[in-house]
Amino acid sequence: MHLNNKLRRSTLLRAGVAALALSGLTSFAAPAKAQTIVSLVESGSSLLYPLFNIWVEDFATNNPGIQITTTSTGSGAGIAQAIKGLVQIGASDAYVSDAMTKMHPTILSIPLAISAQSINYNLPGVTGLKLSGPILAGIYSGTITHWNDPQIAAANPGVALPANAIVPVHRLDGSGDTFIFSQFLSASTPSWKSSTGFGTTLSWPPITGEIGAKGNAGMLAAAKANPYSVAYIGVSYASKVKAAGLGTAALQNAAGAYVLPTPDTIGAAADSVSATTPPDERVSMIFTSGPTAYPIVNYEYAVVDSNQPASAYADAIRTFLTWAINEGNSPTYLNQVNFLPLPPAVKALSAAQIAKIQ
Amino acid sequence: MQIKPFRLTLLALSLLIPAALCAVILFLLIFSAQAIGFNGFGFVTRIIWDLGDLYGDPVTVRGVLVPAGANYGILVFIVGTLLSSAIAILIAVPLSVGAAIFLSEAVPSKIRPVLSMLVELVAVVPSVVFGLWGIAVLVPFIGTMLGPVMSKYLGFIPFFAGGDSGGGYGLLAASVVLALMITPIIATTLLDALLQVPKENRESAFALGATHFEVVSKAMMPMVRTTLIGGIVLALGRALGETMAVLMVSGGGLNILPHSIFSPISTIASFIVSPLDSAEGDPTNMAVRSLAEIALVLFIITLLTNAAAKLLTSGGLHVGKRK
Repeated sequence: MHLNNKLRRSTLLRAGVAALALSGLTSFAAPAKAQTIVSLVESGSSLLYPLFNIWVEDFATNNPGIQITTTSTGSGAGIAQAIKGLVQIGASDAYVSDAMTKMHPTILSIPLAISAQSINYNLPGVTGLKLSGPILAGIYSGTITHWNDPQIAAANPGVALPANAIVPVHRLDGSGDTFIFSQFLSASTPSWKSSTGFGTTLSWPPITGEIGAKGNAGMLAAAKANPYSVAYIGVSYASKVKAAGLGTAALQNAAGAYVLPTPDTIGAAADSVSATTPPDERVSMIFTSGPTAYPIVNYEYAVVDSNQPASAYADAIRTFLTWAINEGNSPTYLNQVNFLPLPPAVKALSAAQIAKIQ
Repeated sequence: MQIKPFRLTLLALSLLIPAALCAVILFLLIFSAQAIGFNGFGFVTRIIWDLGDLYGDPVTVRGVLVPAGANYGILVFIVGTLLSSAIAILIAVPLSVGAAIFLSEAVPSKIRPVLSMLVELVAVVPSVVFGLWGIAVLVPFIGTMLGPVMSKYLGFIPFFAGGDSGGGYGLLAASVVLALMITPIIATTLLDALLQVPKENRESAFALGATHFEVVSKAMMPMVRTTLIGGIVLALGRALGETMAVLMVSGGGLNILPHSIFSPISTIASFIVSPLDSAEGDPTNMAVRSLAEIALVLFIITLLTNAAAKLLTSGGLHVGKRK
């Protein structure tokens, strides 16, 4: 036993020495190869996370001096960590709020790409459903409880709607998807705005049978498992939504037309606000006035402190973000996650904001 | 003289754990102090949880800056926690008592280690795996088969009348997942105790003409009762604090108390996780502080259950020692 212990100790010791030697080697070798490797950390939105991953892979091969670690923590955490300086790039589906901006004036919200959200339904035998903001607000506040409700029937003439109870599915975790969905309801339905409002989590009105699900994947699973359910899901899940056999609703936009989320209708929403986007780019693309605009469209933001502690960080962040809104906006990257590129006018505004990072 | 540094090291190491515990309590108290003041006692009796308007200007309420409309109450989560854990215990106890008796009495001693290892293995399955299984298998099963059957035949009992069963996500799914997670805890504790029952007790009961059932129920079970209670409380501690698996199948009930066994619920532990990301967007930080206050409540509840366990067993957990 004693001998055994001794043996073990000596092997441990040797392993330790070896490990030390190795780490010493690498730490000596690294500065010799490239003298300034800047490590950036990106953290935040789980919707942006897949895009950042494919971006960083290609970006790193062309820019060996900049190393970027990506993490998926949620939009709220991304903003909070960027403000605290824990990460250099916070990723968020929503821009930084007025109240936060007032407290932290150096925090920038820089659009990198455009995303949208689909309203999906699990209605056996029904396709081509049309819905509107007031109908969805009614469903999610419990005033519209059955699929054959007169309001739904009025929007869907000729569709045989079942008499089953509606199962509304919402996000349980804090989410940019909840933010843009509730912004849509607030913008289209005054009573929703005054009673529930918008946010990344909501104080959902209590409804018998409603389901809270975690993440877009959880929303998809819950909608698939529950006939007569309705759910809101980010368009980056479009192929999985289709595979699950869920329908995608056409939504009534501000001009009164029913539109499906397609590149054309999402692009139309972006174009309709690109001329009026303010220099700080904190603008909503929800329920915009374009005649063919899809109503639930949003910018995906990088949240960055314009006042970086070292110029090396600032240079690296500028390099990466500039790459992201130019090369990174090419369809090779964006198509993989069903995002759309920034319109030229917005890209110029983003470039101007990126130049502020010092 | 040589022994002193050794003793000092041991002392320091052993103090580390209580020190960490005190640090956690202190942190929670200090961090949530402002929230405790703002929320008052109504925190545990209100059934509304509203972060308020995180995007507008904060307002001053009761002397502190909070988002407009912020109102925090956690009665729904307390009820969800206690109910799901209680039902989980109700399911798990008969299962694990049966398993433990089977393993100690009916299985040849050569196979016993293999089977008991299998039971122990269930205890080390990560909870997220249980959650995934819950979403993929259990929830659809409850939603389409068990739920409708139960509400049809047991619907006359108030708490079982689910109407249509709400899709499977909810109190029952959470309880079953929890029950599976805690069954091995109770079973292995009980099995160890059953194997420690002196041979003489078993044999004299047999000699008196008792049947095998009577030997187990009258000669053995009374001897391990305190261990059983201890195991249950240990399991209860796990069930009360379980987060991920519950979050995945509970349906996340909010602002509404469960009215049937199929109702969506939230537990305290799972609710600390789900709105945390949004809470971080609160410019006044009150939301995160209130979540810390929830953690404090959970801490108190687990502390109370553990204290109850100590009272009930009064050292009975160490059955292994009396041989």
